[in-house]
Amino acid sequence: MTGNTPADTGGSAVADGAARPVLRVTSLVKRFGDVTAVDGVSFDLMPGASLGIVGESGSGKTTTARVLAGLERPTSGTVELDGRVVAGPEAGRPAARGGTRGRVPGGGARRDRLWRASRLQMIFQDPYGSLDPRQTVARSVAEPMRLHAPGPAAGRRARVRELLDQVGLSERAGGSLPRDLSGGQRQRAAIARALAVRPRVLLLDEAVAALDVSIQAQILTLLDGLRRDTGISYVFVSHDLAVVRHVTETAIVMRHGRVVERGGTERILREPRHPYTRLLLDSIPSPDWDLDRVARDRRALDRL
Amino acid sequence: MTVLANGRERAGEDAAAQRDALSVERLSLAVGHGDAAVPLLADVTVRVGRGETVGLVGESGSGKSLTARSALGLLPRGARATGRVEVAGVDVLAADRRTLRELRRTRASMVFQDPRAALNPVRRIGDYLTEGLRARGTPARDAAARALDLLDRVGIRDPAGALRRYPHEFSGGMLQRVVIAGALSTEPDLLLADEPTTALDVTTQAEVIGLLRRMQRAHGTGMLFVTHDLDLAAAICDRVYVMYAGRVMEESAGASLFTAPAHPYTRGLLEAGPSVRGEKAAIRPIRGRPRALAEAPGGCSFRDRCPLAGDDCAEAVPAYRTHGASVVACLRPERVAP
Repeated sequence: MTGNTPADTGGSAVADGAARPVLRVTSLVKRFGDVTAVDGVSFDLMPGASLGIVGESGSGKTTTARVLAGLERPTSGTVELDGRVVAGPEAGRPAARGGTRGRVPGGGARRDRLWRASRLQMIFQDPYGSLDPRQTVARSVAEPMRLHAPGPAAGRRARVRELLDQVGLSERAGGSLPRDLSGGQRQRAAIARALAVRPRVLLLDEAVAALDVSIQAQILTLLDGLRRDTGISYVFVSHDLAVVRHVTETAIVMRHGRVVERGGTERILREPRHPYTRLLLDSIPSPDWDLDRVARDRRALDRL
Repeated sequence: MTVLANGRERAGEDAAAQRDALSVERLSLAVGHGDAAVPLLADVTVRVGRGETVGLVGESGSGKSLTARSALGLLPRGARATGRVEVAGVDVLAADRRTLRELRRTRASMVFQDPRAALNPVRRIGDYLTEGLRARGTPARDAAARALDLLDRVGIRDPAGALRRYPHEFSGGMLQRVVIAGALSTEPDLLLADEPTTALDVTTQAEVIGLLRRMQRAHGTGMLFVTHDLDLAAAICDRVYVMYAGRVMEESAGASLFTAPAHPYTRGLLEAGPSVRGEKAAIRPIRGRPRALAEAPGGCSFRDRCPLAGDDCAEAVPAYRTHGASVVACLRPERVAP
């Protein structure tokens, strides 16, 4: 999805001469046994853009994210990252439309993984999972650099300082173990680590869901600034429409593995077209909350 | 709305007729002794009238859950409490174990965030729903009929089949309905709901809240609703207490919390949260992080994060004062809500 028109159905050809998408997902399907978790999801993500994937539990939003990150293999469909198919039947080869940009590095699953990880990094809800509990935050941040760009330690140290500063962590916090930091500081550390390899896409899965409101606002402000300063792209997976509204320009709404609505985030919130999107919106508490309307929405959806 | 600052004097004779579902007066809690003592709550006063819905809102460490649990006499191990907690006329802090058990069985119920933690996984739903009634001496057949009726009223399809099923056979939303049915089966005076919908999807949350409201109205139960979600509290509560670092910062009528917050912390929370409605507005983070009472500064606990703080805020804990529709512990509420 390019987001140029609200009704964009995604998967259409990139406009001539314009920038090409940094991430293109085409007809993605993921089955677990008899269960189809993701059913034909397509979207484009342009450089510097931010796309929301909205849905409730069981919608397939997290499975989609895990396929994008390479944590799951798709059953069918393709994921093109930076002009190269990284998941799908022709994974490892340059994308058909990618022209000469995607060079095939000679074989090796490890090299493929490194290639993907240098362009797309993932942030989870619980930053504990992405930080080694026995290592200082600074060492955790330096680790991906050692993997991706071996070089003198002094250079790495300078870059770690720069990264910690970028996410608003003090040098003292850098010398701490994850357990000695607050939840917000740990999420900052996870973001610094993800940025260490200068990825083009940051994939955030409920990244601020576990944080207190005042801390959540700090992280959202940090994410705004990072995108403005670096031109990085976000795929922001969340159940929280208010947060998605703040972070993204375009969004897809998922239900039972399918995309039921897509378009500009503001348009979706102001004039939802799908009954499910309407149900989601009416379910959000407000001073004039109408629980009867929520029940009506639910019945309208059941009739579909 | 009661004025928080003055502990209310109550005539003994007519107390039963107009007694509150819950009255917490100047409750302070601490664990440990001497220099190692860690304060948890300070001078918390919270009241829930009969049939009233009252919100208790705050971030991590605010003491909202501790306050709610104290109503059932569930204090942290080794905690020392001062002040008074009264539920339906029972002095909870002075009560012996038997009185507390009786209280939890009949007068006050609790619904937690995770319904799976509240239910024994190897016992059938029917056993869970009838045990409270059986303990009160209801014959088995009547208890079963009542459980069936309850499940039907909370919107469980095939209630007879549900009675024979185990917790793992239900979704989170359905299980929370079962827990609510159980919590209200004894028609308690007080329902303590601690983040009862936080783990649920947003559409399920709306249904569970609707159910809670209906059941509560039908029984005239007072509800203390603990949540981190200001929007949710303002949407369903008659009154809201905003807690920070173990103290009550503001008490307000539910809806006016949004239109006229009187404490800088309340306003900060409102400005920090993105909104899905109205014009898209910039969010403004509160600097620093939420604190527990033990790590909060002297004087006003919020002053190290407060944009309005001055030297006078360090001198003493601000006394409660009435400002608009709020009772607030701040020296300058007029600069928050003119």
